[in-house]
Amino acid sequence: MTPFHARVEASFGPLRAERVTTLQINVGRKCNQACRHCHVDASPLRTEMMSDDVVDACLDVLAGAPEIATLDITGGAPELHARFREMVRRARALGRSVMVRHNLTVQFEPGHGDLPRFFADQRVEVVCSLPHYLPETTDRQRGGGVFEKSIRALQALNSVGYGGGGGLVLTLVSNPVGAFLPPRQEDLERDTRDHLSRHHGVVFDHLHTITNMPIARFEGWLKRAQVYDDYMDRLHAAFNPATVPGLMCRHLISVGYDGRLFDCDFNQMLEMETADGLPRDVRALDVRALAGRAVRTGEHCYGCTAGAGSSCGGSLA
Amino acid sequence: MSSYFDDKDLAHFGDLKQHAPELWSAFEKYYAASFEPGLLSKREKVLIGFAVAQTSQCPFCIDSYTQQALEQGLTMKHLGEAMHAAASLKAGIALAHALVAHNIDKKVSM
Repeated sequence: MTPFHARVEASFGPLRAERVTTLQINVGRKCNQACRHCHVDASPLRTEMMSDDVVDACLDVLAGAPEIATLDITGGAPELHARFREMVRRARALGRSVMVRHNLTVQFEPGHGDLPRFFADQRVEVVCSLPHYLPETTDRQRGGGVFEKSIRALQALNSVGYGGGGGLVLTLVSNPVGAFLPPRQEDLERDTRDHLSRHHGVVFDHLHTITNMPIARFEGWLKRAQVYDDYMDRLHAAFNPATVPGLMCRHLISVGYDGRLFDCDFNQMLEMETADGLPRDVRALDVRALAGRAVRTGEHCYGCTAGAGSSCGGSLA
Repeated sequence: MSSYFDDKDLAHFGDLKQHAPELWSAFEKYYAASFEPGLLSKREKVLIGFAVAQTSQCPFCIDSYTQQALEQGLTMKHLGEAMHAAASLKAGIALAHALVAHNIDKKVSM
């Protein structure tokens, strides 16, 4: 298999970031679910959560760098962090867009039933995981009963104005339930919109397809199922150079719960910090020093360039 | 060769080109063009491919078109409907051939 960096260089030149416009913070590994594809290995048993000094540093960076237009909060289930709502409020008070990677079912955890109202009051963009519009397919990836709970959570978001095209943006995210590439984003969005509307009365604004990354828990499943090599061959064969300009690593910086800096959330899980000579901790970060930086890559990066591509914002080409 | 059908053989399908390169190239162009979206979507064509693969009992094609169907956002629930549509037509075809017996009987029997 051709190394990823060589494949990119052949069609695009060395992979370099542009200026940082999104600060993506992973506030912890704790989650109320333990999904089979999760690249974070998140679960209810994880205890790693972002410390106060790192939270403060992230907010200081945001305050000092107006070119960062978006705060993207992920986890785990980020809502389980004790300072989650404070982070959202302070980022919104700074005039920044806030996206929350929301697993839907966390709404049913004690003390979180008012999340839809909170999101609406803060005009957060809610990005929700829903692998498929059929219950058995979603439950196979995310656990028994998750689909039914997810539908109820989506209905709660709809009831406060999300997904109706009125400015409260509700985005669904679909990962394939297995070792294959996602379908065309437009096709799945159309089918999902039709199915959820007809059967559950649910509306949403966008659907993003995301390719499963061959790392962490999903890598373990690929190997146990003895399809790891086939999956890597599939990603490699489907390399699409048109996806490279839009790769998320070119526009964001990822902050770990411990303050360390990474080119993306996947590199974070692989402990691949930013390249030598670059800032490596949010507590001593001048964001401008990251503009034009060299991006660290590995074979997992083929997951972002396969087919129509994959990013936190869905397909790329 | 341990068996006539090996799933790894699908990757070597193109090796057949060496025996008749021009005909193979013509087949490749025809095959690729036939599965391009037109009035029918890519997904509809993949489902046709799946049904033909199943009823032709080609393990390579069933493997390939199942994976293609999954990448079109279809699930085994969708393929379950497709396989019964194809199988019931196949059953109907088998029964329709029995008309020959029916007609012969009418012709030769008193």
